[in-house]
Amino acid sequence: MSERRVRYLLVGFSVASWWAARSIQEEDVEGQVLAVSEDEELYSRPLITYALGRRIPGPAYWGDVVCNPRVTVLWGRKAVALEAEERVVHLDSGERIVFDRALIATGSVPIVPSVEGKELEGVFTFTRGKDLLQVERFLARYPVEEVLILGGGFIGLKTCEAFLDRGFRVTLVELAPCLLPAMLDTAGSKYLERALKQAGVRVITENTVASFVDRGGRLFGARLQGGEFLRADLAILAIGVRPNIEWLLDSGLSLGRGIMVDEHQETSVQGIFAAGDVAETRHYITGERTVVAIWPEAVRQGKVAGKNMAGRKVQYPGSLPLNVVEIGDVPLASCGVVNPPDDTFEVLSRSEGDRYRKFVLLDGRLVGFVLVGDIEKAGLFVHLIRERLSLHSLKDKLLDERFGLIALPAEYRKHLVQGAGVEA
Amino acid sequence: MRIRIHEEFCIGCRLCEIMCIVKHSRSGKILKAFREEHPRPLPRVRVEEEGYTSFALQCRHCEEAPCVENCMTGAMHREEGVVLCDEEKCVGCLMCVMSCPFGVIQRGGEKKAVSKCDLCGGKGTPPCVEYCPNEALTYE
Repeated sequence: MSERRVRYLLVGFSVASWWAARSIQEEDVEGQVLAVSEDEELYSRPLITYALGRRIPGPAYWGDVVCNPRVTVLWGRKAVALEAEERVVHLDSGERIVFDRALIATGSVPIVPSVEGKELEGVFTFTRGKDLLQVERFLARYPVEEVLILGGGFIGLKTCEAFLDRGFRVTLVELAPCLLPAMLDTAGSKYLERALKQAGVRVITENTVASFVDRGGRLFGARLQGGEFLRADLAILAIGVRPNIEWLLDSGLSLGRGIMVDEHQETSVQGIFAAGDVAETRHYITGERTVVAIWPEAVRQGKVAGKNMAGRKVQYPGSLPLNVVEIGDVPLASCGVVNPPDDTFEVLSRSEGDRYRKFVLLDGRLVGFVLVGDIEKAGLFVHLIRERLSLHSLKDKLLDERFGLIALPAEYRKHLVQGAGVEA
Repeated sequence: MRIRIHEEFCIGCRLCEIMCIVKHSRSGKILKAFREEHPRPLPRVRVEEEGYTSFALQCRHCEEAPCVENCMTGAMHREEGVVLCDEEKCVGCLMCVMSCPFGVIQRGGEKKAVSKCDLCGGKGTPPCVEYCPNEALTYE
């Protein structure tokens, strides 16, 4: 069996690894980086729904990814086992890679419910580039009118948006009473439900698919738990994702829901790090262990991991959940704690027609928000949460739609707008 | 070079917004831009106002720009220091809006792409600065 030795190994080559590679090279100009990717080429995973919706021709990523002779990528190769103490990763090709430092960034995998008929032609999960190809191939081969999406979480909604863009009739089935339960409060998800219905989506909550039904071996519809039959030519299973850690069960790494990491993104075994959807970090606000599988945190975790791998101690401040979706013309954004667990939190909210704003505060500091309709200042609110800025009297202005940088203390905002400047 | 904000001198006249619209209009003419071009382009500089305080605010072209890092297509990118959005590549996911600590990225365009200050190509003084009657914006 062939064996390679490398200074830095990246297992998985998506956004967390891209940023780790960059950070490593900033700190260690000579270190050789070897990355292993299951994919055949570089692309941006979350773009597959936009490619399906034809907003772009394909899921290509156009940003800067470290590309120089000191970074080698093995495409189409899968890591099948890790011996943490021995610092060896085994690939499906039979190769062994011996490393000094490694980053595990193998992302997440879709959770497939154990529903009868889930293997039928026409039933798909939708998280990878190959899923996009399979769905497109199916759409090209068979007439499709009715699409069923099982799961009203983030992937379900993004996929829903794509099928709407393509002009299909869509039914969305969600087990919970509310859509996007991880991201929204009850009021926010009512707005979302309304927007979906206005866009022509049939929304069914507190129900799920009991079995998929075929005709001639291909999907024909779904029987719901309540007994109702729904016609469907194509179905997407989007009940959620989980960290891709199955290949690590015997590795020696401490695993929770994901790979447990400390504030340096380092796992229980020194020299081995994890970042992105596979990593279990701490919540920025609550400090609880959590997996926050979003692009911005993959960037931040990848950066921190890379620095630490190259020997510079950098701390990760914790994961802050945030997300944004747009259904029809209604954008919805949320961040942080949106469903406070007890009354030590203060809640300010206002709903007016199609617009809704909710802010959650703890000890006079912003810890979460939901915005529906007008989300332009969302980034400013995220900034206030990250900075843990004490809001004092300012908090009375939060509900005002004109809230902006001008509401912040003069000295603070002047400092903020200074920045480093642009070389021209 | 960068646009500096001097809020002490801002009188809230919003000429910067108007000149930004004209600059980014198809015709480049003020009357045509406002009366004949639909939809009217959005101003990429916005005046924030509260009581007697006001200032004009546009993209700060941050050195470590979270909008660039968090862009999942690479549409938001940097050219010679200027942070620009390539509208052809933008899918309108709005993650840049969620990422901007100043709240200066807006939704715009038919493909739901986003709109932000482009420093007018980095060639010469941008009109928002040039036409400011009181030097509340400077380019230095």
